[in-house]
Amino acid sequence: MTDETALETAHAGHDTGHDTLPRGAVLLIEDDSTIAEEIVAELSGHGFDVQHRATGDAGLAAALAGGVDVMVVDRLLPGMDGLTVIETMRQRGIRTPVLVLSALSAVDDRVTGLKAGGDDYLSKPFAMEELLARVEALMRRPDDTRNTRLRVGPLEMDLIERRVWRDGREIELLPREFRLLEYLMRRPDQVLTRSMLLEDVWQYRFIPRTNLVDVHIGKLRRKVDAPGEEPLIRSIRGTGFLLRVPD
Amino acid sequence: MFLTELFRTAAFRLTLMAVAAMAGVMVMQFALVYTQMEAVESHRSTELLRGEARLLSEMTPEHLEYVIRKRATDDMRLVISSAGLFDSGHAVITGDLRSWPRGLKADGKPHNIEIYPEEGAPYPMRLLAVTLTDGNILVLGRSFHLLAEQKLMLRHATVLAAVPTLLFALLLGMVLSHRALSRVKDMHEAIDLIMAGDIHERLPAGKERDDLERLAGSVNRMLDRLERLMDGMREVGNDIAHDLRTPLSRVRAKLERALSTGSQQEALEGAVARAVDDLDQCLAIITALLRIAEIESSRRRAGFAVLDLGELVADVVDLYEPIAETEGIHLLTQRGPSAVTIDGDRHLLIELLANLVDNAIKFTPEGGQVTVAVLRRPAGGAVLTVADTGIGIAREEREAVLSRFYRSDKSRHVPGNGLGLSLVSAIAHLHEASVAVEEGPDGRGTCFRITFQ
Repeated sequence: MTDETALETAHAGHDTGHDTLPRGAVLLIEDDSTIAEEIVAELSGHGFDVQHRATGDAGLAAALAGGVDVMVVDRLLPGMDGLTVIETMRQRGIRTPVLVLSALSAVDDRVTGLKAGGDDYLSKPFAMEELLARVEALMRRPDDTRNTRLRVGPLEMDLIERRVWRDGREIELLPREFRLLEYLMRRPDQVLTRSMLLEDVWQYRFIPRTNLVDVHIGKLRRKVDAPGEEPLIRSIRGTGFLLRVPD
Repeated sequence: MFLTELFRTAAFRLTLMAVAAMAGVMVMQFALVYTQMEAVESHRSTELLRGEARLLSEMTPEHLEYVIRKRATDDMRLVISSAGLFDSGHAVITGDLRSWPRGLKADGKPHNIEIYPEEGAPYPMRLLAVTLTDGNILVLGRSFHLLAEQKLMLRHATVLAAVPTLLFALLLGMVLSHRALSRVKDMHEAIDLIMAGDIHERLPAGKERDDLERLAGSVNRMLDRLERLMDGMREVGNDIAHDLRTPLSRVRAKLERALSTGSQQEALEGAVARAVDDLDQCLAIITALLRIAEIESSRRRAGFAVLDLGELVADVVDLYEPIAETEGIHLLTQRGPSAVTIDGDRHLLIELLANLVDNAIKFTPEGGQVTVAVLRRPAGGAVLTVADTGIGIAREEREAVLSRFYRSDKSRHVPGNGLGLSLVSAIAHLHEASVAVEEGPDGRGTCFRITFQ
């Protein structure tokens, strides 16, 4: 229960902290005007500067014009389809991260989407929080440097010896808990949804219950946040989790 | 109208072909007899001319002259149609050949030569000339009229035989194809009824004695199968409608009440949040259905690779261990020391296993046990079992749990959409693996057994 109050404030703080200046430019290519409106409202509401194009050709032109930080592209578009837009763009050397949206859920659909040059894949219908979290994740590419030591606030992780400390106190973790914490530590202060964790930490996509992740996070949290310590792993209600960096 | 329709039946076309073949054989037979007859006659006339010439040349010249002159009344007339006695200068002495036939040589061999009589049209004749001991030349001729007569007779006989035979065959073909046509017509009428929506109608198949009836029987069996599939689909459609209507009506009721009971911000927010949860459940049902349909229709094995089932089990158990622990259930793994490899799609098999483990945990009370085991089959292939000590599935329900939307009475109170096991079944089917539902160890709980070939 203490989690729930903590998470509400965490979510609010997370949103308002960046409202003053634009958090990045998003190009949305989507032909369904209702969904496009919702996406534009959600992303603009969270401080993103969003431009919307309804066809593949117009979208490609906007992408080539530059000034875009993240693209959200629907797979099925009238005229030039989404994957062709991404492929053409990549051939021209534009590396802007792309989130592919699709109404299809074909077994290897995600694979073809990612092969064409997409960076992440989301199938419809999706929760707006999920979209937001993924756009934010693409906005801040994870710290995938070759550092063998990660440091986030009081946490320190040695990737070679596979050991973790909090303020010098060593935390004993199971391999799966270590993997999970490493993922969180590479993305501090970033909302991570349950399906992002399942997809990236476990590489699973269709798991009957997503609250499995909550149990894993719960176990990890009990080890990381000892009684009396400031909680670092926060739950964001209805969305996912966040590793908070204390000021 | 009838004729064009008749001509378009396969039976009639076959008849026409048979009639044509018959006519061809008759022509060939005729040609053979014709040429054979000619050859026999030619041989015979040569022999006759030679024999007669030998006889005549042995006579005294006076007697010969007499015989030639009197030839008209002689029985020689029957075999020799013309005769003539010429001197060495080819001038006629006596006989009915009035002049030396053009191009004839006195070499004792038969020659076919055109004779030009003083009046009338020229005609061919087989001639033989021999030089006699006194220097005169004897010419004997045999006309072709006998052969021509025989040929004419043969032609008449052939035509007389061919016309009724061919006509009879044609008539028989018409009758047979008309009968076939009427049967096909019956079938057409039955098919038209089926197309108009009467899917219970069947083609007349009789006792399936001939090709047409056997074909009709096959079509009927195909229709039976289609009808069963359609019934199944209708059932699934009803189930979907029913399973979606329940959460949707809940959403509606909640929103309606929230709207009518007042404007309290907090109450409204709560109602909307619960409505979103219910809608998520509807969407989950639709997503699961689409996934099952997609896996069932997918015959591509593009994602297939050689993988170790043991590792797969370890991965899924690792994922479910914390939740099993939280719910007080022992999650155990049984696997041999060596890898058990099969050809499969890792993502789909993880999904299959996750669904089985998830189910087992869901239906096992606290303190129970869930065991995931991988075994190599001695005959090749592998067996994957997920056994629990939970509430179990009644024997008569075991087949049904694998079908869409089936919820055992015992499981009504447990959340879920009843689609997990049909997903398992679809994935197993794609891997050509069989799914069996059995009792768990010691006769308690349930054991799902997936057998890979």
